[in-house]
Amino acid sequence: MNKAVVASGLTKAYGDTVALDGVDLAVAEGEVFGLIGPNGAGKTTLIRALTGTTPVDGDISVFDSEPTAVDSDRIGLLPQSFSPPARLTARELVDYYGGLYEHARETDQVLRDVGLIKSADSWYETLSGGQQRRVCVASALVNDPDLLFLDEPTTGIDPVGRRSLWELLESLAAGGTTVVLTSHSMAEVQRLSDRVGLLQDGQLVAVGTPSQLIADHGGNSRLVIGTEASKAGATALEHAGFAVTASPGEILVDGVSPVDIGEAVDALSAAGISYDSLSWSEPSLEDVYLQLTGERFDPVTTASTAAAEPSEPPEQAATLGGDQ
Amino acid sequence: MSRSRRIRAEATAAWHSFLRRKTAVFFTFFFPVILVVIFGALVRTQPTDGGLFAEPAAYYIPGYLATVVLFTPLSRVGSEIARHRDDNRFEKLATTPLTRTEWLLAHTLVNTVIIGLASLLILGLVLLVTDATVPLSSELALLVPFVVLAVVLFCGFGALLGRLADSQDGVIAASNTIALPLLFLSDTFITAEQLPGWFTPIVELSPLTYFARGVRAITYEQAASEPSLNLLILAGLAAVFLIAGSYAIPRTD
Repeated sequence: MNKAVVASGLTKAYGDTVALDGVDLAVAEGEVFGLIGPNGAGKTTLIRALTGTTPVDGDISVFDSEPTAVDSDRIGLLPQSFSPPARLTARELVDYYGGLYEHARETDQVLRDVGLIKSADSWYETLSGGQQRRVCVASALVNDPDLLFLDEPTTGIDPVGRRSLWELLESLAAGGTTVVLTSHSMAEVQRLSDRVGLLQDGQLVAVGTPSQLIADHGGNSRLVIGTEASKAGATALEHAGFAVTASPGEILVDGVSPVDIGEAVDALSAAGISYDSLSWSEPSLEDVYLQLTGERFDPVTTASTAAAEPSEPPEQAATLGGDQ
Repeated sequence: MSRSRRIRAEATAAWHSFLRRKTAVFFTFFFPVILVVIFGALVRTQPTDGGLFAEPAAYYIPGYLATVVLFTPLSRVGSEIARHRDDNRFEKLATTPLTRTEWLLAHTLVNTVIIGLASLLILGLVLLVTDATVPLSSELALLVPFVVLAVVLFCGFGALLGRLADSQDGVIAASNTIALPLLFLSDTFITAEQLPGWFTPIVELSPLTYFARGVRAITYEQAASEPSLNLLILAGLAAVFLIAGSYAIPRTD
């Protein structure tokens, strides 16, 4: 398959801070490539390097050209923290960015694609944060690009809007558009990406399909049992052959397949132990992220973060409530 | 065709953005008006007393016009660049077919319209509230290229300022610091004879001097200068600043 993007040995430093440290990357035409990593890992610098908007050391080829020499009709970019002129309407903004290209898509169709046709005549500054981000996405789609760079495309968009954008991106990918996106939403990256790259401290520490990465780094599926009798419950489960970790009010059972849930419940029942809740989850990209970045959930430090940006439960999580 | 399409798209967006910032529109036109009213109507020129404003009223027409030709593009283009940089708009534009020169041309076009209207307003006001008269001749048409070239020049200068300053506040402070001395030391309100002899080379180095002398040659009957040489110099400087300004417009870093 032809490569849309090939990069090797990309290095970039801002003073003493290393943003990219020998990154090698190849993205095939028609592929959706997701970039994940902590803040400051180098995701935005990598996007800027690939779009030719920041100079870096190393070799980059985009459609077999230098990034700055590639036909700009083929490229779409949504930069991070991008804000267009605030006192233009959504329609005027799409018209404006479309006017920069020889052949642009029809404005109303682009607005319909991003779900903004009803707010088309509102000034950008009067739109909600999610609507504003959708205008920005529209500005990246207006030239019907072959290669789309999206730096945190769904930041600030509500769940319904996010899902409609995901569907739009999936339809673009199905139509052959190559997409390189960054996101802090693991659910988003897992759903959209054919392959995922994890950047940390400027290095691409893992690349693979979401399922490969989860199999290699995500750990086991888990059953979490909420119970007051966690100590006795853990003993009962251990006797039944389960690997468990008990903490006050909770038992974590590691490596439980869905068919084993009934066996665990029977073991608790036989020991006369009641429980408040059962929650089973498969490992997800979020587990891969936490495993590879070495980051851990810290209730004290994450309380304020959670208030600003609600975390998402894993897509495959299933929760059962019960009392026996 | 596509170049004109791109410039039109950028200029249309910039024009609408300007018109919808009502305070910006108001003060863009109010600033020169208040200047004419204060100095032209209230202070008035005193042709026999010496000192400041000792020349006939028509002598100062280039000075009044210079206020908008100088201040408006310097601060507007500089601020626009700072705003674009803060909002990552240049990063976005760098991946479109729009070139940096086209961006600057589009914003120069918008500034030309704004400053052209402000210049007409000033000229009308000066004639209305002072006893200045302007000789009616075909040379009067040269006012248009003088204003246009000066706008091009100072839009390029504004782009350089926008590149060098790291914020909108910085652009405004820098443009005021540069524009104020330029305004008064460019043969506009203060004649070269009123300045120390050693200062003459500095006056000659100011691009605004050639605008002031050229416009005076058209609008003031007793003018010692003639327009064509000043127009030529202004055109050369405008080309230099347009090119330098185009290169100064940032992409991302």
